[in-house]
Amino acid sequence: MQEYKRISITKDEIVPLAEKMRKNGVILAMIHGYLGKDGLPVISYEYQVDPGIESYTVEGEKVLPTISHIYDLAAEWPERELSELIDITFEGLDTSKRLFMPESMLEGQGHIFVTPMEELIEKVQKKKED
Amino acid sequence: MSYIVPIGPYHPSLEEPVHARLITDGELISDAEVFIGYNHRGIEKLCMERNFIQTLVLVERVCGICSHSHALTYALTLESISGIKVPKKGQYMRVITAELERLHSHYLWLGIALHIIGHDSLFMHSWDDREAIMDALEDLTGNRVNYGMVTYGGSRREMSLEQKDRILKMLDKIEDSQKRLTEFLLADKTVALRTQGVGVLTTEDAIRIGAIGPHARASNVPVDVRIDSPYCCYEDFEFNKAVFHTCDVFARVVVRCLENMESIKIIRQAIDSMPQGAYNLGNRIPTIKPGEYMMRHEAPRGQLCYKVVTNGTDKNERVSIHVPTFRNAPTIPTMLKGNSVADAGLIIASIDPCFSCMDR
Repeated sequence: MQEYKRISITKDEIVPLAEKMRKNGVILAMIHGYLGKDGLPVISYEYQVDPGIESYTVEGEKVLPTISHIYDLAAEWPERELSELIDITFEGLDTSKRLFMPESMLEGQGHIFVTPMEELIEKVQKKKED
Repeated sequence: MSYIVPIGPYHPSLEEPVHARLITDGELISDAEVFIGYNHRGIEKLCMERNFIQTLVLVERVCGICSHSHALTYALTLESISGIKVPKKGQYMRVITAELERLHSHYLWLGIALHIIGHDSLFMHSWDDREAIMDALEDLTGNRVNYGMVTYGGSRREMSLEQKDRILKMLDKIEDSQKRLTEFLLADKTVALRTQGVGVLTTEDAIRIGAIGPHARASNVPVDVRIDSPYCCYEDFEFNKAVFHTCDVFARVVVRCLENMESIKIIRQAIDSMPQGAYNLGNRIPTIKPGEYMMRHEAPRGQLCYKVVTNGTDKNERVSIHVPTFRNAPTIPTMLKGNSVADAGLIIASIDPCFSCMDR
């Protein structure tokens, strides 16, 4: 079984940690995000420390610093995805172009993971009627 | 004079929708951009509305080629959250299906690459071999695309003695034709002209951008989850990482040919040393505990990541799916720069993209 370790960090630790990991040649496996029980975002930076994953998690922050200047596109695309789907702002990240969501959907934002399914269906139907 | 040449999102040379914008200087590409998201189906959102049994069926439909990889990774993630122990025979059956899937995916890619290169007779030969693998998968699982082979706690089916014989016979045939195909690809002048020195992704760029799977291995980056972080009993089998150093489209062809031979080796070992006993947990539906886990699986195109968060109910709190193309597609602009417009289709195809899979 692959090892999985969850470690809580603060917003201020994200960039120094990424710099340290990059320096040590650690691969950034992915950046994940979801809404926790209290409705606040949980963002985890999954570093590939073989044979397992170290998941550095930041809870309750809607504005985070980007690490795309450290991990290049390996961080840029996941960050753009999260800012589209969960409404997280990554400071310093260019989000002027869409990644997954069509430009016409929900004023170009999407945020489908934080919008209830009923609301999404209603908005799509309303758009069709218009 | 500089022109912008758009390719896609719908284009005869693309099997799936993606949009590449090439900025050209005469015949050469000076810069490029890639746009994705044309097949976004909201599968992750749907997963949040489904229970675990329904989700297993749903995630298998994320991709038409590596469907088993998706179901397997999702099941492995939930099993890890709940500490479910899968019988060894079930693990071996999962490995056999996964490796057959890798074989058929690589043959599919080889066929398409040869078609783009302009070698249509070899394209047909490689797809003929792929057909034999598809037949074996159908024989083993009952299906040709969505195999439905994975269940929580094991595999849905086991293998009869007759099936073992048929698969071993098929592997002998495939091995012979793969050797002939590899010899031809290494020696042919047309293949060399179209692939050598084309679409170079240096080792430094591959690491910087985060390429994975056969695409990274073709850029001399030795990463393979099956060996680096074994799961599903992969540690029981002897096989090598297929790595090549030329970093071009030719290297991607060579790596996939080598990997086919390694997959054949793994399937033979799994069949020869198939454990006795149960291959799943029977009719017992396991309870999934609250928790979170991230699982990585070496799918045919590279590392497939599933992160699942559960909350103690029968539904997922979050299912996050990241496929290898999500990591490999950002390398396309780097590979395109400095190449001719005529090679753009082959370079984009050389990552073995699955855009529908990526958009999920």
